[in-house]
Amino acid sequence: MNAQAGMRGGAGEAAGMDVQSAAAIMREAHQRARRELRARRPVLFAAWGLVVLIGYGAMWLSVRGQHPFHGPTVPAVVTLVALFLVAAVLTAWLVDRASTGVGGPSVLQRGSFVLALAAGGFALSIFTHVVANAGADRPLVTLIGAAAPLLVVGVVFVASCAVNGMLDWPRLALGLWLLAVAAEGGWAGPVTYLAVIALAGGGGILLMAAIEPRMRRS
Amino acid sequence: MSEDGLDPVIHVPARLRIVVTLASLPDGDDLSFTRLQDLIGLTPGNLITHLRKLEDAGYVQTERNGSGTTARTSVALTHGGRAALDNYTTVVRQLLDSASPG
Repeated sequence: MNAQAGMRGGAGEAAGMDVQSAAAIMREAHQRARRELRARRPVLFAAWGLVVLIGYGAMWLSVRGQHPFHGPTVPAVVTLVALFLVAAVLTAWLVDRASTGVGGPSVLQRGSFVLALAAGGFALSIFTHVVANAGADRPLVTLIGAAAPLLVVGVVFVASCAVNGMLDWPRLALGLWLLAVAAEGGWAGPVTYLAVIALAGGGGILLMAAIEPRMRRS
Repeated sequence: MSEDGLDPVIHVPARLRIVVTLASLPDGDDLSFTRLQDLIGLTPGNLITHLRKLEDAGYVQTERNGSGTTARTSVALTHGGRAALDNYTTVVRQLLDSASPG
């Protein structure tokens, strides 16, 4: 009996369902539930990886060769913000699509995760302006402003990597990698730091988009 | 249990799909009736019939919140339901292993 045959039987008991059919139904139902009820993380990682790669890459191109250094140009910052907004809308759409009709503790977990990212990002962006307002020079402000998003995302990812009693390895690995890039990349100085974040940060997120399904299966 | 050890409550295609779908949610989460219907592809009447049988066996729990247009019926797998599915999966694997040559 094929997997769909039993479904056409409506509420009737499908007598004689063999074990192979049962295994096929379980496999198909499990795959469909995973596909429909979970936001597609490889897509999300790919989108955010491109934001970091292109956005920070554009900022690096805008400061390369500046003498004296006066920070990323307005068009480069606008590019990053525009990419950020596109990725944020895509993320909201994918998460909303997957979580429609789902209730319970995971909704609260997701809410606290988003709140932590938003509050952390907002607080550090204000702090960057505070540092600039206090008279810090442009290289220092650029270093802090560039590192802030990675630090926030890295800390939140590491702090939330234990989900439902299981370790979310992709989230933990990516969180630690972003923290390492944000902390160690700064030694390269403000100009090269933007390139380091674009390549190592964005590249790391894109790599995770490629290997995440395999990591979750193992 | 049936003769071959497969739980007869779960060993029906529609109910097997329902239980596997609910088991894919994190422990403690529930799914609205309409989303479950969308995922399983049954008519509301058929879904209610199957849910009633699962509820009678203690495998799922349904809860109705609100009233009128804001009413939401949620369905969740119980611990007993999750254990029954684990047991069913084990038996299916054993039967498949014993049936495979070599």
